Amino acid sequence: MSKEVRIVKVWQEPEGRYRLETEDRCYLAFRPAWSSPLSRPGRYLALLDGKDGEITTIPDPQALPPEVLDPLMAMVGERYLSPMVTEILTIRMEFGITYWDTMTERGRRDFATQSLQENVHWLAPGHLIVTDVSGNRYEVHVDRLDPKSRRLLGNAV
Amino acid sequence: MSSTLQSAQAVPVEGKPLIELEADLTEDGRYGARRVVVTSSHVSVLEPGGAVLSRVAIEDIGTIKNEPLVSGGRLRVRTKSGDELTLATYSLTVAHRFSDLARGVEELAAGSELTIALPQERTRCEKCGLPLPEADGFCPSCLNRGKTLIRVAAYLKPYKTRTAVLVLLSMTSTGLNLVPPLIQRTLVDGFKDGTMTTPLLLQNVGLWGLLALAASATQIFTGRNMAFLAAHISADLRNAVFRAVQGLGIRYFDRKPVGAIASRVTNDTERLWFFLVDGLPFFFINVLMFFGVIGFLFWTDVGLATAILLPIPLIGLVSMYFWKPLSIMFHKVSQKMARLHMHLNESLSGIRVVKAFVKEDFEFGKFTVRNREWRDTAYAGERRWTTGFGIMTFFIALAALINWGYGGTLVIQGRLTLGEFVMVNSYLLLVYGPLQWFAQINNWFSRAMAGAERVFEVLDMAAESPNDDGAVQPLRGEVAFEGVRFGYDKSNPVIRNMSFDVKAGEMIGLVGHSGSGKSTTINLIARFYEPDAGRILVDGRDYRELDLADFRRQIGIVLQEPFLFNGTIAENIAYGKPDATFDEIVNAARAANAHDFILAKQDGYDTVVGERGARLSGGERQRVSIARAILHDPKILILDEATSSVDVETERQIQEAIQNLIANRTTFAIAHRLTTLRTANRLIVLERGEIKEVGTHDELMQAGGVFAKLVETQRQINQVVEVGNV
Repeated sequence: MSKEVRIVKVWQEPEGRYRLETEDRCYLAFRPAWSSPLSRPGRYLALLDGKDGEITTIPDPQALPPEVLDPLMAMVGERYLSPMVTEILTIRMEFGITYWDTMTERGRRDFATQSLQENVHWLAPGHLIVTDVSGNRYEVHVDRLDPKSRRLLGNAV
Repeated sequence: MSSTLQSAQAVPVEGKPLIELEADLTEDGRYGARRVVVTSSHVSVLEPGGAVLSRVAIEDIGTIKNEPLVSGGRLRVRTKSGDELTLATYSLTVAHRFSDLARGVEELAAGSELTIALPQERTRCEKCGLPLPEADGFCPSCLNRGKTLIRVAAYLKPYKTRTAVLVLLSMTSTGLNLVPPLIQRTLVDGFKDGTMTTPLLLQNVGLWGLLALAASATQIFTGRNMAFLAAHISADLRNAVFRAVQGLGIRYFDRKPVGAIASRVTNDTERLWFFLVDGLPFFFINVLMFFGVIGFLFWTDVGLATAILLPIPLIGLVSMYFWKPLSIMFHKVSQKMARLHMHLNESLSGIRVVKAFVKEDFEFGKFTVRNREWRDTAYAGERRWTTGFGIMTFFIALAALINWGYGGTLVIQGRLTLGEFVMVNSYLLLVYGPLQWFAQINNWFSRAMAGAERVFEVLDMAAESPNDDGAVQPLRGEVAFEGVRFGYDKSNPVIRNMSFDVKAGEMIGLVGHSGSGKSTTINLIARFYEPDAGRILVDGRDYRELDLADFRRQIGIVLQEPFLFNGTIAENIAYGKPDATFDEIVNAARAANAHDFILAKQDGYDTVVGERGARLSGGERQRVSIARAILHDPKILILDEATSSVDVETERQIQEAIQNLIANRTTFAIAHRLTTLRTANRLIVLERGEIKEVGTHDELMQAGGVFAKLVETQRQINQVVEVGNV
């Protein structure tokens, strides 16, 4: 489905600027982007050149050698800031605003959402995205939550 | 690189801070505060304790930008020596402000005067610390509900006489309901002690009959009054909300689905009037009744009154346990209902696509899931409600049992007459009957206040055009962009530093790849959005100083997918000028090459076009929309791919119509087929939100730049299509 290009090397030169070498050329600027980050997490990692053209898409990044995978994952980690909610501490509803106090993989975060109907998007049963009033997105896998968090979530949405 | 510091050191910030912002992510991507301070010489990033984490001398900065990331952004610097570093990472809550900070640093790096002002933005409530729904907005959690209630009650103001009558009737009704138990007492005591005579009996029964008649009449008048107020207040609220929604900027409509906005006009206003007209009077009547009856009970026997009122605190506890979660559950039911409505709207609006792709079962499947969610949520809510109600019923029965046990003992002991016992029994129903509904008031109140908040959110939102006085200041049609920057997401501009001048009457073609910023440019010209930075001048004035309605009256738009309203062709043509004569409508239709096809229709200009003009072909709809624009007679005309979705013959007719339309008007045209822009005075070629080339068609072809390549690419595609069609 995608161009198959063998990745030879990913390195930083100078510090903070990633370069990519493939079997046929060297890219001075590139960036990784998940093709389907919500429904197929961890798979189909596209590498885009400086003009957002596809260099290649890697269906299973975990199969890459560590010296290539590690810098790519570091770049990915810098680009995707949407956290996964690991625990829901409280959910309060006041006058149509819902206040969430959560633990995420990036630390504790409290945020507010307006209409839940508009800002909670079910990707699949048990998998949802909550968008706060600023547009930040929080991913929730219901089956990975503890019973109390599940109960709080179930009461709200 | 010597001036770039990248490890935490307690180095003081040099110079006076010119810009200060707080990032909310740390270097390792965890939530935490980092302060970015810009002075005239450095950009520094500080830990909350004040230690400098990194610092770059402004003179060393080559470029600095806010790089948009998923759910946030980062401040990236490229030094003149080629090094790249991330100064700060942040969520979307503050990303747009870092975009401004980067511009400010660029100004300082260029030796210019700093024009960026970043006043402190309040994103949390100072009182309770909760996040605010909108920066610098109000905190719903700290909102004074009493004030909201008063604001809601203000909708009763135009009907104050009827409201006063309703209050009087309510009080009368309360009084009338309190008397029959007293008559019962007189009758029973009279029977028991043998003092009751036939005339006395008839007198009491007659009085009771009159009271019943009066109560019935009061009930009828109260009901009629409530129906009047319900109908009028709900209509007033819907009007107010619809009017307010209309006045909101396009950004609001970008964010909210149409179904959700419609729900504010219908469902939320319904909750509000229901509370006003049903909830409040119910509460008022029953509070009066409650205290009236309690008064009578204590007057009869203090001990008995205390005993039979004992279950009331228990009822209060049950209420707290059941009704608070119940109001959240009802909120959830509304969510599920709205989710189903949204899907229903969407699948019915797109019924042609659904049928064309034979996706009826797929859509039915989605509908079934949403329907089941609604069913289950509603069932859970009703289950809880019924359980709570059942427990309440038990406590009411308990009160009756206390009366029979303790009151009966008092009767046996002769401390209470049988008549008094019967009276107390009747009053019990008057106390406990409404009491089980009192808790419901809290639920009504919560739902109504949530509805009120949503309604007021719309009503309080700043309208696009607050100062429309209806006066028209004629425009000449000169348009100028001065360093315009704009992004739908402010932290991610799609128009960057755009500047150009257009003389009145010029035709400008906007050209570029998909996503180059053409449509955004015309959205800015029409003032559907306003620049985040820079200015757009119309006739030499910043167009934000012009009255918006006045400005829009002199703008005409012909879109790729013209929107027609469900009415006749004549009504649609005259949409912008409802007082147009029939001759004017026909002349506009002639100029738009629409007259002939209209006449060929059975009902001519009276042909009803259907919802969104569905009963007309694409080319017909387009020509009606051009006729509408011609009759509107705008000074500035916007043509957005007006001929892209029609066949060649229809395109020829539309092109002719457009030539009639653009005469003596400043025109901005986007066209799919670049050759159709040959007649433009100038073409502006856009790439990634910036102007790449400006010139006439011939000049740009000779220059052999971006435009020439676009034309060549299109020519090759057309050749391929033509070969394919052979």
